[in-house]
Amino acid sequence: MVSSRKETWLQILFAGCAALCILSVALICWFLFANGLPAIVKIGPLNFLGSAHWAPSQGHYGILAMIVGSICLGLGSALFGVPLGVLTAVYLAYYCPKKLYEPLKSAIDLLAGIPSVVFGFFGLVVLVGWMQKVFVGSSGKGILCASLLLAIMILPTIVSVSENALQKIDPSFYEASRALGAGHDHTVFFVCLPAAARGIGTAAILGISRAIGETMAVIMVAGNAAILPASILSPVRTLTTGIVLEMSYASGLHRQALIAMGAILFVLILIMNIGFFKARHRNG
Amino acid sequence: MKPSLQTTAVLQPVPLTPSKPRKKARVNLTEKKTDRIGLALRTLCSLAAFCCAAILVGLILYIVINGLPWLTADLFSWTYTTQNVSMMPAIINTVLMIIATLAIALPVGIGAAIYLEEYAKPGSKFVELVSITAQTLAGIPSIVFGLFGMLFFGYALHMGLSMLSGILTLAILVLPLILRTSQEALHAVPTSMREASFALGAGWVQTIFKVVLPQAATGIFSGVLLASGRILGESAALIYTSGTLAKAAFNLFDPGATLSVHLYKLLNEGLYTHQANATAVVLLAFCIAMNLAQKMLERKMTKGL
Amino acid sequence: MKTSKTMLQKVGAAALTALMIGGCSQSNPASSSSASPISVLSREDGSGTRSAFSELFQLEKDGQDLTVPDAEITNSTAVMMATVTQNPNAIGYISLGSLNDTIKALAIDGVKPSVETVTDGTYSISRPFLIVEKEGAENELAADFKEYILSDQGQKIIADAGYVPIANSGSWSSDGVSGSLTVGGSSSVTPVMEKLAEDYQKQNDQAEISVLQTDSSTGASSTAEGVYDIGMLSRELKEEEKSQSLISTPIAQDGIVLIVSVDNPVDSLSKSQVQDIYTGAVTDWSELN
Repeated sequence: MVSSRKETWLQILFAGCAALCILSVALICWFLFANGLPAIVKIGPLNFLGSAHWAPSQGHYGILAMIVGSICLGLGSALFGVPLGVLTAVYLAYYCPKKLYEPLKSAIDLLAGIPSVVFGFFGLVVLVGWMQKVFVGSSGKGILCASLLLAIMILPTIVSVSENALQKIDPSFYEASRALGAGHDHTVFFVCLPAAARGIGTAAILGISRAIGETMAVIMVAGNAAILPASILSPVRTLTTGIVLEMSYASGLHRQALIAMGAILFVLILIMNIGFFKARHRNG
Repeated sequence: MKPSLQTTAVLQPVPLTPSKPRKKARVNLTEKKTDRIGLALRTLCSLAAFCCAAILVGLILYIVINGLPWLTADLFSWTYTTQNVSMMPAIINTVLMIIATLAIALPVGIGAAIYLEEYAKPGSKFVELVSITAQTLAGIPSIVFGLFGMLFFGYALHMGLSMLSGILTLAILVLPLILRTSQEALHAVPTSMREASFALGAGWVQTIFKVVLPQAATGIFSGVLLASGRILGESAALIYTSGTLAKAAFNLFDPGATLSVHLYKLLNEGLYTHQANATAVVLLAFCIAMNLAQKMLERKMTKGL
Repeated sequence: MKTSKTMLQKVGAAALTALMIGGCSQSNPASSSSASPISVLSREDGSGTRSAFSELFQLEKDGQDLTVPDAEITNSTAVMMATVTQNPNAIGYISLGSLNDTIKALAIDGVKPSVETVTDGTYSISRPFLIVEKEGAENELAADFKEYILSDQGQKIIADAGYVPIANSGSWSSDGVSGSLTVGGSSSVTPVMEKLAEDYQKQNDQAEISVLQTDSSTGASSTAEGVYDIGMLSRELKEEEKSQSLISTPIAQDGIVLIVSVDNPVDSLSKSQVQDIYTGAVTDWSELN
């Protein structure tokens, strides 16, 4: 009797721990929106989301340029990061000599552990310098440079998720293809890779959402001008860097507008996550 | 498939470094003629993998070459002054931050994992909701955590700019990571162990604490190392919660910068570039150590099973 | 789909390899004869350095900010300096105290920025460093620390750090006032304030002073709220801040320096040329003079 009561209490305690996850998300939602929504209402949702004119000291609070900037960098990093990551995953799954596998995998995992501040400084000095050399006359910072740096940063995510997807493919796919006379390479690229397409899609979504959320590295290489980008060399400001750039100085409506930007960012990531979760569920 | 035809058409005329000596294919018995597309694609794969490795090596070399010459004993003095630009207080704060954050996140994360794995009916609404929210938490950018921590812990709960605000913010940030790794570790414990324990008359509690958890310990510890690495590298979530003060914060109500934040601050004013480079080396060394420890643990785990 | 992927992959891989090889060497200076578009760098909207800069060069007119919209923005002096070091076409501005020999400071209207020229007023691009206190807040330690900052010893520390001392209220000696003090605010003032606090604590070991780096606006608002005992500002108090019963005391003058790469042939600009560059009227180095 006593022990069963204790067990019930413990079960409730454990359930409470699990519920803390839900509570945290609810709290984050509540605090971001309670602090951000009044600003959106005051500025006007259309002005806030639909205008690209950001000049807080003159009372212009349009964040369109930053939304576009975030999306550009998300897609840009995927453009470089996904092919590189997926091919690396294929190499790891099908071609890598046994001796090389462990060191290579460790190296890629290590890449995930490097702090973004370190990435940012590396990007600022090495990547930007190199971009200046390739595109003479440009400042080097901008969409292309930030996308390349982000591509490196999201590599570990893309490689590990894609490799997982490749390894989960039913081996009979491979065997059937070989039995029909296809070579190893052909089978890998035209049978196994398409079979893992959904997993690779997941990898891309996760990578993009990580790229959109990245802050400290992007701030150093993106140029940060709050304008709608005109070319791939244009400087660009994202939602995340917009917050960090001005948060420490902002007060009043400006501060609220920055928190509202955080809320918009949160919604953006939420949409991607829900899409991802739904896709995975359908996948079984 | 149609795409394959297209690829053939485009890729065939591209002369791709034929002289490159390649590793012998693992299964090559049935291939009579060399498959040129295959070769091209395979080369591409190797190149991609090489790129990944080269990027990492380049990054590490760059940081070490730039930072190592400036790494002096002064940088490890006990207190920070503008003369020595010591990172010791930041290292102490980082250790404190990791310990305190894990002290909160670990029990909660393991508790939640136990509930999901041992008690809850799989597929129930609650389980689904917890998974979705954990997934969401894992995807939230750290700057959003920073804003939330500032608004909730800093302002609403009046903790201000303090280690405690930072610790609580990070606890939420690493919670999904710990939850997931613990859940995987618990999941890996064979059901037969639990059944055997029940058969011997043990209750749920005994079974969990005496049988399942010890079995899952290595897996959970691997999650702890992952979470520590995440805390070590975090800067965006901490700047507005625990501040940038370079002073060891033994009182958790004081502000204090961790190593990453300290590095960010050094980079910000441009006065201490050399010291910033040296600090980056130390930060990187910690990251690599953490990563290697986790790898070794993982290897031990797979061998043990 | 896959075609484009693989092609892109090739480009990306080649680019990245080249990066690893080429990235480590230094970039070559652009020749001054050919067209070289100016890469304009500025600080973030709201920063003390930017508002002082905008005011001094009249980049704000009728509430409109005239700075070119595609100017690169950074919130960090180090990033500004690293960018200018690398890019011969870039121009930016930093605090006089942060100046080092990796970059070149431009003379404005023929006057080189230095502690001397700011002191005698010939270099006019400068702003005050202020400390603020809440009116009526009786704090013995704060008063003593303030007295120290304005004394010979304090002002010497300021001058040694590369800023311009402005006060001289004689010598100061420790009365051994005990207690703790929180000083916070502008990131531009923080480095010199840290030095002041260290030296003060050396002479008065009864005192404990924490210096928190935030920003000018927080420095003012937190002092008004009583979170900080002393706030640091790198700009003048705004009207709405003055109404919060804050008393301000200037402790130093800081020059704002326009910087370019050492590879840039330009050594001097006139005030109106700087204005033209920052408003976008001039977009190429060859268009100057």
